[in-house]
Amino acid sequence: MLARTAERVYWLGRFLERAENTARLILVRHHAILDLPREVQPGWDLLLQVLGAEQDFAALPGAANEKNIISFVFGERENPSSIISSLTSARENMRTTREIMPSETWERINSLYLSVARRSNKDLPRGVRHSVLNNIIQSCQQITGMLAGTMNQDAAYQFIRMGRNLERADMSTRIIDAASAGLMGNLEDISPYRNVLWISVLQSLSAYQMYRLNVQRNVSPQDVLEFLFQSHIFPRAVAHCLGEIEHSMKLLPEHKPALAAAEKVLKKLSSTDCGELVDSELHGFIDDLQLQLVDVHAAIVDTWFTPGE
Amino acid sequence: MVQAKIKSPQPYSRVRPRSTIDWSQYHPGEFYDEIIGKAGRARPATRSLVEFIRKQTIKHLVSRQQAADLAIQEMGITFTVYSEGQNIDRSWPLDIIPRIIPLQEWRVLEQGLIQRLTALNMFIDDVYNKQQILKDKVVPEEIIASSPDFLKQCLGAKPRHGVWAHICGSDLVRDSDGTVFVLEDNLRVPSGVSYMLENRAISKRVLPQLFDRNSIQPVADYPSQLFDMLASLSPRAVKHPEIVVMTPGVFNSAYFEHAYLAQRMGAELVEGADMVVGSDDRVYMKTIRGLSPIDVIYRRINDDFLDPEVFRPDSALGTPGLFRAWRKGKVGLANAPGAGVADDKVVYTFVPAIIKYYLDQDPIIPNVPSYLCVNEKHRKYVLENLANMVVKPANESGGYGMLIGPAASKKELAMFAGLIKKNPRNYMAQPALKLSTAPTLCGNSIEPRHLDLRPFILQGKNHYVTAGGLTRVALRKGSLVVNSSQGGGSKDTWIVDTEAG
Repeated sequence: MLARTAERVYWLGRFLERAENTARLILVRHHAILDLPREVQPGWDLLLQVLGAEQDFAALPGAANEKNIISFVFGERENPSSIISSLTSARENMRTTREIMPSETWERINSLYLSVARRSNKDLPRGVRHSVLNNIIQSCQQITGMLAGTMNQDAAYQFIRMGRNLERADMSTRIIDAASAGLMGNLEDISPYRNVLWISVLQSLSAYQMYRLNVQRNVSPQDVLEFLFQSHIFPRAVAHCLGEIEHSMKLLPEHKPALAAAEKVLKKLSSTDCGELVDSELHGFIDDLQLQLVDVHAAIVDTWFTPGE
Repeated sequence: MVQAKIKSPQPYSRVRPRSTIDWSQYHPGEFYDEIIGKAGRARPATRSLVEFIRKQTIKHLVSRQQAADLAIQEMGITFTVYSEGQNIDRSWPLDIIPRIIPLQEWRVLEQGLIQRLTALNMFIDDVYNKQQILKDKVVPEEIIASSPDFLKQCLGAKPRHGVWAHICGSDLVRDSDGTVFVLEDNLRVPSGVSYMLENRAISKRVLPQLFDRNSIQPVADYPSQLFDMLASLSPRAVKHPEIVVMTPGVFNSAYFEHAYLAQRMGAELVEGADMVVGSDDRVYMKTIRGLSPIDVIYRRINDDFLDPEVFRPDSALGTPGLFRAWRKGKVGLANAPGAGVADDKVVYTFVPAIIKYYLDQDPIIPNVPSYLCVNEKHRKYVLENLANMVVKPANESGGYGMLIGPAASKKELAMFAGLIKKNPRNYMAQPALKLSTAPTLCGNSIEPRHLDLRPFILQGKNHYVTAGGLTRVALRKGSLVVNSSQGGGSKDTWIVDTEAG
C-alpha cells in the first residue's frame, strides 16, 4: 500500500469521525439547553470551547449567539473544524483514494456531502436541527458500517480504523473537559441540576444508556470519569479507542515504534485513579492526555507515512 | 386452488394518449440517423427501443433523465474543465436514449480496428528501429523528422511483443450515406473508457426494462482485459506482476478515470512522487512497508512529463529515471514513450498506405479523405474550399485549435487561411462530413443530434476491442463538436445482436 494512500485514508477516518462527533455535540448541547431552566443553561459558547474554535469564531464578524455559533460549527467553510469542512476533507480524501474504497461508500459520502453543502449557507433553526444533524450522524455511521461490512480488512482498513479511533479518543477528552468545566466546583445554583449535567456529559458521548447498563449505580463523577476514560467495553471510552488503535497497529507492518507510543498512553491512563481527578486536576489531566494522543499521531506519521525519509 | 384473476379497470379508449412520444415529429433530415431509418421507420436493431419510447410520455422520459442525472451526481462521475484559471468538476453529461449498432456491422468494424492498430504498431516499431518504410519512401522521412512526437531517445528500443501503442482510442464517424470512417487515432493517453462503463451502469439503473428486450453485448470486462494486457508487458515472468496506474494527480481532467481504472483493476494509483528508480534501474513505489518494486506502469501522463531527466526538466509530475528503467527493459510502460508519432494528424493520412505496406491488406475501415497543407496542390484546394472543410492542427487533441468551415465566420476563415499559409506542416484538412445523428432528449422534446464513437482497442500479447465504445454527442443543435469540454454529451452504446432469440 502506498504511503500517501495510507495517509489519506487515515485522515478520511479522522474527518468522518470528526463530522459525526461535531453533529453529536451540537445535538446534545441543543437538548441540554432545552432540559434546563434558563438561569443555569450553559452558554452556546461552550461548544466553541470544546472544539477549540473560540479564536476562529472571534475572527469572523457576528455576535456569539445561538444562531451564529451553530452556523459557524455546522456550515462555515472558513472554520476548519466545522461539519462542512470535515465532510469536504473526508470526501476529498475518499475521492483521491477511491480506487481502494468500496464504491458504494464513495456514493454515500458524496451524497452526504452534497446534502450538507446544500444546507451549509443556511441557518439551522431549532425546528430542523434534530433531523439534519441526526441524518449526518446516521450517514457517518452508515459509512463506517459499510466499510466494516464490505471492505477488505487489510492495511487500508486498519488506517481508517486508527484514524477514527484516535479522533474519537481526542473528541471524548474534549467533550469531558468542556462539559465538566462547570461541574467541579460547589456552586450553589447548579447543585440541584448537577445530576442532569453529569447525565448530559454522558449523553454527549452517547454513553448514558451504556453507562447505566454497565455501572448500575447512580451517576457519580468518579464512576462517570472511570467509564468514559477507562472502560474497555464502551466504544467511545478513551481506553477502548486506544485498544482499537493498538489492535490495528499490530496488523500493520513495521509497527513497533507506533505501538510503543500507543501502549504508553494506555498504560498511564489505566493506572490513573479517577477519584483523585477533582477540580483543576481534571483539566490538567485532560490536557496531558491530549498531548499524548498527539504523540501517538506523530508516531503513526513517522512509522508509515514517510518511507525513506 | 385456482384463483380467479381480477382484471384491473381499463381505460375506455384504446387510443394512444396524445402525450406519448410521436416519432413522426422526428426529422433527421439529410443526415444518416442511427436509430430511425428512411421513411421514419425504426432500423431492425432499434425496433424495440423505438417501440418502447413510443409508449412513453415525455414527462416520464424527462423523469428518467433526471434520475440518471441524480445517479451521476451521487456516484460522483465527473470530468474536470479548466476555465478562467480554475478547475471545475462537472457532472458527466449522459443522454439516456442509447445509441445502437447491430452486432453484424460491429464485427466488421472490430476487425478493421484491430487491423489498424496492428499496422500502426508495426509502423512505430519500424520508425524507431530499421526505418524500412521511410527508406522505401512510403512515408516521407521529413514528416517523421519534423514530428514533435517523434522521440530520438526511443531509437533502438524494443518493447515487448514489438508493441508501442497498447491502448488506442480511435474516433469513428458515419457519413450521410452510412459509411463509417476513422476520423483519428489516439495513441498517446486516450481517455473516456470509464465513462463508457459508467454510462452502461447508469442505463441499467434507469432503464432496466429495455435490457430484457434486447440482446446487448456486455462492456464490463474492459478492466480485466486491460489488466491482462498490462500483465503481458511485465519484464519479470511472475504470476502476479505489480501493475500501477500513474496519474498526474487530482487536478488532471481525467483523474476520475485514472482512479476508476486503478480501482477496477485492483492496481495502485500512483503519482510521480510516489515512485523512485533505484541504482538497479528498477522502479519502486513508496509503501507503508518501505520501497516495493513495480513491473508495469499504465501511465496517464504525457511523454513530456514522464521523466525530468530525459524530457521536460521542470516536470514535477514525473519520476526521474523512469525512461532509463524502460529502455533497459526493467519496467513495462503503456503506452510506450514515443508512440504518439503515429498519432500525428499528418501521419494519419498515410495509414491506408501503412496498412497496405505491413499487412498487404486493404483498410477495412476507410480514412476520411484528407488534404495535407504541406503539399502545394492540396493546400491550394483547401484554401479554395475552406468554408466546406474541417481544418485541424497536426498535434492537438480535445477539439482545440480546429476550424469547422461551415460553422465559421468570415473572420475565422481568413485567420485560418493565414495560419495555414504561415505553417503548412502544422495543418491538415478534411471535407466537413455530414455526421450521423441519433435521437437525443433535448429539454422537453426528442431531437436529432450529431455523434461519433470512440472504441478502445488493446494490444499486448493479444488484441481486444470494447463492445461499442464511448458515443459522444454534440448537444447543441447543428453542432459537430462532441468534446465534453465544449458542451458535448454522451450516450450508452449498445451492440445489439438482432439474430439472437
